[in-house]
Amino acid sequence: MRRPGLHVKVMATFAAGALAISSAVAVLSYDLTRSTLLASRQRSAIRTAYFDANVVQAGLSADDPDVIAVLRSLDTGATRRPVIFRGGQPYARNADAGITAAIPPALRAMVISGRPGIQRVRTTSGAAFVIGIPLDDGAEFYVVDSLAELEETLRTLSLVLTLVAAGTTAAGAGVGAYSSRRVLRPLSRVVAAARDIAAGDLDARLDPATEPDLEQLTGSFNHMVDQLAERIARDRRFAADVSHELRSPLQTLAAAASVLDRRRGTLDDRSALAASLITEEVERFQDLVTDLLELARSDQPAERKDIDVAEIARQVCRNRRLPTSLVTVAAGTPRCWPLDQRRFEQALGNLLDNATRYGGGPIAVSLAAEAGTGMINIDDDGPGVAPPLRAIIFDRFVRGTSANARGDGAGTGLGLALVAEHIAAHGGRVHVTDRPGGGARFHIEIPLANQ
Amino acid sequence: MLVIEDDDRIRTALLLALEDEGYEAAGAATAEDGLAAQRSQPADTVLIDLMLPGLDGFDCIRQLRRDDDVPIVVVSARTDTHDIVAALETGADDYLIKPVAIKELSARLRALRRRGRADSPSLPTMTFGDLQVRPLAGEATLRGEPVTLTRTEFRLLCELATHPGMVLSRQQLLERVWEYDFGDERLVDVHVGRLRQKIEDEPGAPRRLLTVRGLGYKLQR
Repeated sequence: MRRPGLHVKVMATFAAGALAISSAVAVLSYDLTRSTLLASRQRSAIRTAYFDANVVQAGLSADDPDVIAVLRSLDTGATRRPVIFRGGQPYARNADAGITAAIPPALRAMVISGRPGIQRVRTTSGAAFVIGIPLDDGAEFYVVDSLAELEETLRTLSLVLTLVAAGTTAAGAGVGAYSSRRVLRPLSRVVAAARDIAAGDLDARLDPATEPDLEQLTGSFNHMVDQLAERIARDRRFAADVSHELRSPLQTLAAAASVLDRRRGTLDDRSALAASLITEEVERFQDLVTDLLELARSDQPAERKDIDVAEIARQVCRNRRLPTSLVTVAAGTPRCWPLDQRRFEQALGNLLDNATRYGGGPIAVSLAAEAGTGMINIDDDGPGVAPPLRAIIFDRFVRGTSANARGDGAGTGLGLALVAEHIAAHGGRVHVTDRPGGGARFHIEIPLANQ
Repeated sequence: MLVIEDDDRIRTALLLALEDEGYEAAGAATAEDGLAAQRSQPADTVLIDLMLPGLDGFDCIRQLRRDDDVPIVVVSARTDTHDIVAALETGADDYLIKPVAIKELSARLRALRRRGRADSPSLPTMTFGDLQVRPLAGEATLRGEPVTLTRTEFRLLCELATHPGMVLSRQQLLERVWEYDFGDERLVDVHVGRLRQKIEDEPGAPRRLLTVRGLGYKLQR
């Protein structure tokens, strides 16, 4: 399973933090509010109970008092329900029948012994205070004071606090998401720079001024790219220097070999064979040095200008003694393409040479354009390229082997690598597939919109 | 033929090979020696390296050009566009990159010699306003004054003049003037530039030898 990203982790941490803090605050404030409310409610309940008790005491002190009438005279509102025990007999208002059951025996015992008391109980209609006050002549006065209103208030409070906690958690997640994005933004710049560098833009660097906190990262990143660019430049310089240094001795060799070659007829067979080997190898050496130098400077941008692509393709064919009828142009293909003529000629020429050497000869060069992309297929009549080789034949010094290959082994091993470099310099790509009907098809795509 | 090349081995091998190809060739190890040799015993063609001790190849070409229109071929290991264009602008007729095959070198030299002769002496004098091209006399005049042209420049002018008002592609000019199957188009561009210096009143805004974008050049009728 994929591990959650930094983004998600930061967000979750912020949310969890917000949840912990907000629920702790909620619980504490609920508890505090509840106990404060209960205490004040209790004080008021006791005060009103004593007031009622005084009224009842006064009512009962008359001769032969009507207990029920006394109870009725009390202004109890909806929440308080009085009960009187007189001579062990409970008295309640009709509407409050069964209320005596709510009076806990322990409280009664206390009141009977002459001490007032209060107890919180749970009745069938919710929580309530039961307050007991002893009266004169052994009578007892109780008030069952309902706490339904208080409970309702507490329920609302807890709902509000829960909502606030949930909201705070969501806000925490939001802040987490925002700040992780903020924190990750410079990293995404690093990603973009790395992508540019991978695409060949070795000038891409991070600006250390934009993120002072990431100074170390940008510093080492830029340092790494500097080193990389320097290394690549050094490699290219080396290749260029090597091929340059090889040119002078090669000139001597080429001239001397031609002198030998002219006299082959006067040499004995063994010397003549040796002379022709030297001549051939010098020629191949020349090609190799030329290709190496070309490769060393292939990172330079293409010098594009509008060229008549079909005419150039025909010219490349002519120079290789190939029929110009190989070149076909699909309807609707623009005549001029913005290309670096020298490099395009070399790329196409190398592909044609490759087809001649390994593919039984080229059989078609077809030009087409579609949606701003120029496409060229170079088809040959050979055995095709095996799928595992398709990715590597554009690497340097990978040579084809084939029954159809000419035995001269004259390739430098750099031809297709140069093709890939030249096409890439145009922002295009080249790959090899099967030609319908057999043989290989080299497919070139080049964006025609000049940047 | 004079070979100015400071590397003894290359010079020796080139002289051997060129003599094999039927040229009479002499060598010089420095530009100074080469210039002295050319003054005392003018050769018909000069082969020159660019990197020379003392006076370098560019200066040497400039001094050779000051004296006459001897065909000059650069044979150098330098491949930068900058060097190639600079050598051609200084007055070289062709530029070959080392190592050059002797067959190729020989072909280039033959083409250069042919350029010297009037290719089609039967061609009449051609007039383009106040510019006259006389293939027979091997000269061109601007407002009656003769224009000093090298053989290659003259050959290029003749080629354009025989197709008045017609666009010739760089490739066509390379084939017809330099006899290249497949050559460096910078040769054409630089020579056109040199020609403009001599036949245009304002080389930066040519009115006679025009560029046709993407196609080539034409001489305005």
